Amino acid sequence: MAEVTRKVIQRIFKSQKSSKIPLKSSPLQLVLLALVIIFLIVYPFLPFVNNYWIDVGFFVGIYVLLGLSLNIVLGEVGLFDLGHAAFYAIGAYTTGILFTQLHIPTMALLPISAIVAGGFAYLVTFPIIHLRGDYLCIVTIGIGEVVRITALNNPFGLTKGANGITGIGNPNFGLFSLHTPTHFYYYIWIIVALVIIGLLNLQKSRVGRAWNFIREDEIATEANGIDVRSYKLIAFILGAGLAGIAGNVYASTMMTISPDNFTFMESCLLFCIVLLGGLGSISGNLLGAATIVIFPEIFRQFASYRLLFFGAVLVVMMIFRPGGIWPRRREGVGFRGLGISGLPADEDEFLKKILKKAALVPQGVDPPSRSSLKTETVNEKVNGDLLLETQGVTMQFGGLMAVNQFDLKIREGKITSLIGPNGAGKTTLFNVITGIYRPTSGKVIFMSQDITDLKPHVIISKGIARTFQNIRLFPSLTCIENVMSGPHCHAHSGTWSSIFHPPSQKKEERQILEIASYRLHQVGLWQYRNELAKNLPYGKQRLLEIARALATNPKLIILDEPSSGLNDKETEELMDFLKKRIAEGFTLLLIEHDMNVVMGISDWVTVMDMGSKIAEGLPREIYNNPRVIEAYLGKEE
Amino acid sequence: MHMLLEQFLNGLTIGSFYALVAMGYSMVYGVMKLVNFAHGDLFTLGSYLGYSILVFGAGWITQVLGIWGGVVVAISGAMISVGIVGLVVEHIAYRPVYKVGRLPVVASALGMSIFISNGIMAIWGPRFQAYPQNAIPSGILSFSDIRITFVKLITLLVSLGLMAFIYWLVEKTFFGTAVRAMALDRDTATLMGIDFNKIILFVFFVGPALGAMAGVFAGLNYGRIIFNLGWTYGLKAFTATILGGIGNIPGAMIGGLLLGVMESLFEGFVSGAWKNVFVFLVLIIILIVRPTGLIGEKVAEKV
Repeated sequence: MAEVTRKVIQRIFKSQKSSKIPLKSSPLQLVLLALVIIFLIVYPFLPFVNNYWIDVGFFVGIYVLLGLSLNIVLGEVGLFDLGHAAFYAIGAYTTGILFTQLHIPTMALLPISAIVAGGFAYLVTFPIIHLRGDYLCIVTIGIGEVVRITALNNPFGLTKGANGITGIGNPNFGLFSLHTPTHFYYYIWIIVALVIIGLLNLQKSRVGRAWNFIREDEIATEANGIDVRSYKLIAFILGAGLAGIAGNVYASTMMTISPDNFTFMESCLLFCIVLLGGLGSISGNLLGAATIVIFPEIFRQFASYRLLFFGAVLVVMMIFRPGGIWPRRREGVGFRGLGISGLPADEDEFLKKILKKAALVPQGVDPPSRSSLKTETVNEKVNGDLLLETQGVTMQFGGLMAVNQFDLKIREGKITSLIGPNGAGKTTLFNVITGIYRPTSGKVIFMSQDITDLKPHVIISKGIARTFQNIRLFPSLTCIENVMSGPHCHAHSGTWSSIFHPPSQKKEERQILEIASYRLHQVGLWQYRNELAKNLPYGKQRLLEIARALATNPKLIILDEPSSGLNDKETEELMDFLKKRIAEGFTLLLIEHDMNVVMGISDWVTVMDMGSKIAEGLPREIYNNPRVIEAYLGKEE
Repeated sequence: MHMLLEQFLNGLTIGSFYALVAMGYSMVYGVMKLVNFAHGDLFTLGSYLGYSILVFGAGWITQVLGIWGGVVVAISGAMISVGIVGLVVEHIAYRPVYKVGRLPVVASALGMSIFISNGIMAIWGPRFQAYPQNAIPSGILSFSDIRITFVKLITLLVSLGLMAFIYWLVEKTFFGTAVRAMALDRDTATLMGIDFNKIILFVFFVGPALGAMAGVFAGLNYGRIIFNLGWTYGLKAFTATILGGIGNIPGAMIGGLLLGVMESLFEGFVSGAWKNVFVFLVLIIILIVRPTGLIGEKVAEKV
């Protein structure tokens, strides 16, 4: 009897423990959310709220919308956009000009304003999107100024110069025209609500994750087969489109616009909203916008000092709380935060299902003993089909010949090693293969296709994955999110399906999660799935990077000095792990300078020194090759 | 021809302001890899401090020391005070966030910029302030039909002289080598025994001080100043910095003069209302075509 009771108690405890894992939103949070929504709905009817305060509520809505629009660019992707008021202005002026010139109702101009602003963003950011942070920042300031000055200079009499455009019509639905502060209040907040729903969906999608990857590490993102440039452009277009909507709403409710509404200070205020609230945090955004609008209203006698105050707050915030007041929490929400529907409550249960599914893949089975093969040799040179080949690749930097007429052959299902002393040009060759450098001459052939001129992300999606010598993860994302960047390049959901989450998108998201979970478990990091990558110790970070590379489902995995920074035991474990991957159908290329690491596991070794191939052969042959010894140890006297 | 020369001289004057401010940007960027957004506002602060020194005591400095003496006191006073402010800004706004990441540094610099320009507005008011007429040296020199004011001539000579001095200091002295080494590779330079803090002190004092000097000269040349003056000057000076190659101090000087002349010629011969648009187009084109600047070197990013 006692035994049974103990078991029952155990089970209860167990189930409690496991039910804790998929943290649902706490009741407190839900209550808070409900209160905020109710407050926003009844706000215009509260006793102390007069028309003036309803207007304030309207402006909070406008700034929330503007803040959200900048948040896409600045918060999600991490691009410094200090000219966001330009897109706001384009939306407002599109509405103003088309209404006054062609008398199109302002309501109908809402989508047009968004499209014009988005299109404008595409045109102006297309040539500059590759610029680094600070440069991009300055250029966006420039764009903001160019737009404002253009409006001021009244080209073709369209913008009416410094006085701006007046007499813009209110929005109307058929015969019903919005014209009181209360109407405007509900109008903007309904738009804000719809936008927030769309953005929440976007955050929990392939596109939203790709943006975050870019913010965390651009090079690693590209190296996982994600087209960084397009995603940045999408962010700018979407952000500008939303700002254009805000411009339309502003123009049609205020009925007048002038260049003074769209100064640099306006852009700065938007920047403040996003930073005060917290990057990428929608709730933070609400808070930031409310602060920026309401604060000067409460302390009206100090209104002219408001920017002084915000400037100081910005500095103090960055020193003491760089993440913002209400940052987006990732680790807390775990799998649930990924927004994938139909996951079982227990994540371990989920894993078990995946592992069952994956049972077809012979994993964990040791490949046929390699040592026995190694002695028979000679035939092995020709064994296996050619997977990747470099033909006379030469890479020159100025006068320096980093790689000289290099031929490298990688056969399918083998472990090939490229070794050579430091500075031999290994990493350069590696960067040529993965498309980061374009070779001065020569070709790279992968699966009988010339990939020399392809962009890195295209090459990765063709089936070459890589890891970095000094680990490049997405530090502030969870481990599972890190690995989920792998399957990204084989998925198809675009921006629209990321916003609306149709069934096809949900199915795809689930598949991505399944692949990622499988790989994460395979490297033994399943228990760290909801931990931020930066919190892992070094050795585990390397495993995580390998899991991420495996998750791109590559044919060939190139590992750049995988043993660097690991101790002997960790190295040995890693090598064991890699050997087992061969049985799964992967091909490996190791780049190493440590001879001992590669001798044990390689099928074929190519030695590089001073940019040229000095030897190739079976490990044993290389081990005793006098030229190799010379390259490593120097010539014997 | 006459107008061309006049515009050219105007361009050189305004270009020398850009150059002085741009050197500050370039020095700070070189060592800290940080765009000091507050730099343009330190220029304004210098301008206002010079103004206050000249107005102080109904101009007794000018009465006691003569008109040129007043100018010298105003310039040196503004340079020293703004230099000190520069150090303070570095200490409170940049140092604590420097290691946190790129965004906090940019945001902090932006916050500092907003704070300083609005602080100036809070102290001196939001309207234009006129430099006292009796403190500005009068007199015009004419060479055949080209006329140039004394102030402009002095501005040009002093600015060019100072640029030459900074050039010598940075390119030819032992200390300058240390600054450049720090700009190339901070870690290695520190390992070689160069004191990072000393270099920081140098760039954050000298940069703003040069900006302050440009500020006082701008006030003397144009007669009136406003609290957000530094924003356009700062932005254009930054354009000049990129034009010459960021982090490259001689480049900043050349970039500044070049931009001033281009802007002035555009203003004179094409359109005054669109000149800022022209400047930003130059900036964008340079960044697309040659992001390392006209005389900067090409650096491959290490992966």
